[in-house]
Amino acid sequence: MGTNKIGLIIRREYLTRVRKKSFILMSLLGPLIMAGVLTFALWTSLEESEDQKVLVVDDNYPFFENLDGSSKLTYNIMDVSLTQGEALLEVSDYTALLYLPKNILQSKSGQLIFKKQPSIKVQRQIEQNIQQYLELSKLKEFNISEVDYRRLKAPFDLLTFQFKGAGAEAEETNILPAIVGLVFGILIYFFIFMYSVQVMRGVIEEKTNRIIEVMISSVKPFQLMMGKIIGVGAVGLTQFALWILLTIVLAVGGQFAILANKYDASQVKTPMTELVQQQVDQEQALNLTQLSQKDNLFNKIRRVNFPVMIAVFLFYFLGGYLLYSALMAAVGSAVDNDTDTQQFIFPITFPLLLAYILSFSVFENPSSDMAVWLSIIPLTSPVIMMIRVAVGIESADMWQVYLSMALLIGSFLGAVWMSGKIYRVGILMYGKKPTLREILKWINY
Amino acid sequence: MNYILEGKNINKYYGNFKVLNEVSIAIPEGQIFGLLGPNGAGKTTLIRTLTQITAPDLGEILYKGHPLKSFKSSEFGYLPEERGLYRKMKVGEQALYLCQIKGLDKKDALAKLKPWFEKLEMESWWNKKVEELSKGMQQKLQFAITVAHNPKLLILDEPFSGFDPVNTETIKNHILDLKDAGTTIVFSTHNMASVEELCQNITLINRGENILSGSVSEIRKSFSKSLFQIQFKGSKVAFANALGFQFEIDEIFETSDHTNATVLAHQGVGSKELLSSLIQHVELISFQEKLPSMNDIFIDLIGRPQSESV
Repeated sequence: MGTNKIGLIIRREYLTRVRKKSFILMSLLGPLIMAGVLTFALWTSLEESEDQKVLVVDDNYPFFENLDGSSKLTYNIMDVSLTQGEALLEVSDYTALLYLPKNILQSKSGQLIFKKQPSIKVQRQIEQNIQQYLELSKLKEFNISEVDYRRLKAPFDLLTFQFKGAGAEAEETNILPAIVGLVFGILIYFFIFMYSVQVMRGVIEEKTNRIIEVMISSVKPFQLMMGKIIGVGAVGLTQFALWILLTIVLAVGGQFAILANKYDASQVKTPMTELVQQQVDQEQALNLTQLSQKDNLFNKIRRVNFPVMIAVFLFYFLGGYLLYSALMAAVGSAVDNDTDTQQFIFPITFPLLLAYILSFSVFENPSSDMAVWLSIIPLTSPVIMMIRVAVGIESADMWQVYLSMALLIGSFLGAVWMSGKIYRVGILMYGKKPTLREILKWINY
Repeated sequence: MNYILEGKNINKYYGNFKVLNEVSIAIPEGQIFGLLGPNGAGKTTLIRTLTQITAPDLGEILYKGHPLKSFKSSEFGYLPEERGLYRKMKVGEQALYLCQIKGLDKKDALAKLKPWFEKLEMESWWNKKVEELSKGMQQKLQFAITVAHNPKLLILDEPFSGFDPVNTETIKNHILDLKDAGTTIVFSTHNMASVEELCQNITLINRGENILSGSVSEIRKSFSKSLFQIQFKGSKVAFANALGFQFEIDEIFETSDHTNATVLAHQGVGSKELLSSLIQHVELISFQEKLPSMNDIFIDLIGRPQSESV
């Protein structure tokens, strides 16, 4: 019977919230904004609204005779002077004039005269086209085959490793897991804060509505409090799941649409691929979507163990949320209206805020003493431990994780117990705003 | 007498403040029972301890003779004085929810709510939001929700507040119907007229202490100031002479065919002595003891906190 009642309360708390327009809006807008920003960034760097038809004035005509563009970027090589070219540009539908001067091999530069500013991407493509053209012609000049030239090209990446003592496998350091950890940590901060405040609001609402006494004539105050906490927590998890899912769908969908439309496979050549690659790398770090453009993407994030990260996220979100929401439920029960909550909210959420602020320095130095302590103390551990776990914790330090988890469980059980005591008295108290001392006395009522 | 709910020597503190001091109450089964007291007397706290919403610091609560361990929400119906609803929820959804948390399943709750929605003419409200209802409409809805699950014990804290006279009458009749159907009703109020009309037994508390308990008719008799109302035909002088020193005329006036008098009896004499002295001298039309109203008793007692019992 008791559990059935909690179930009914959870169901009501959950359904009334997920049915709200604001929840649906937040669930859609969150990922839309995230994916939108990312897609927009990619789009602005790739998208060219107009086809470019470029009049090429080649002072060395017919040196650039075989210059090739793409379907969107066509070159028309002409044996005219710059003045003639400019005159032609004025009367024709050419969008720009590319001037390649006589001494181009020495000056290594040309001029682009446009009617309407072309995108940086177009400028890059023109640069790349000319550069490749010049390279190929030089290869011919020095009698080097293209195959040999490709062999000569030696791409180089610097991978950094932390020394773990002789014989021990050195650990590769990588900024990416730390970024992922920071994002998860900030998400935890955001979710704990948002949803524990919702618990408090819900309690105050029941109190000011005066439905509280009707409710507790049917269920125990503790059942009502736990039902609310669990129901609101489930809303938080739903929102998180929706965000992740929608972000993946939107980001992958959006980016593929752009990439597929604008560039056919043959078009994605070396220079473009690099550009795309950079974009994709950034997105990978930011929104955690697994956009499978290139294999080496996965190499870059291979140190981020996503299943572990999600599991740790769920644990610390739930633990942190239970801890903070229980405290917030106690605050809600003790006051009559939102404005009275300020003096209590600040001291309670201060450690959470501190964890958020310090997360950036933990991000820079995840194995500092401060990071270790903050990741063990229950009020700050949910945010900080995310970053440490993302970066990777040595097996010798695993006790810190276990201690942190045990402390978190212990403290949320303690908080739930204490808040339950305060709550059952507070919800029936109206009128004068109680002091913290009075509230603590309620524990013994 | 069979008591459905008893509270014995209940003590309750809020901090150092003693809200209830050795309060006892016994509610007979199948009656309408009045719990009376001025504002701040401790009525609500007493109800909360009786319903196990808060535990007493000392004292015992018996339900049908056995210690009450936990709130029997399926058998109790409680309409608190401070009552409200979830404003954003729809009426029907809310009624179902509040019945379900009392232990009814959804089908059962629906079947039990429907007749009440019909009786109270609320069918058209089902899909409205609570915030669209007037205060009086919300009170009606709350009453229906409180009684829908057929509780054996119904505790109503100021059930008529917020109602117009027409609705007050409707609710009063439903309360009487419930009593006839076997429901025990605890009725907490300041409205003494409705206590006289509805309750058989009462307990009056003030400042957290028992002041008075017993049946309404006996209490009124015991608070009688030995005033008698007499209608007679005959001479006023003869009437006054007949009274002698043991009785005193409080009020007297003549109508066209008879005289009305109110007589105060002095200590040690009563209706027997008064009747026997009068009957030889005047023609009596009617003779009755004038009992104080519950309102008079209430006002009389609240100034005097010492305990009395009948």
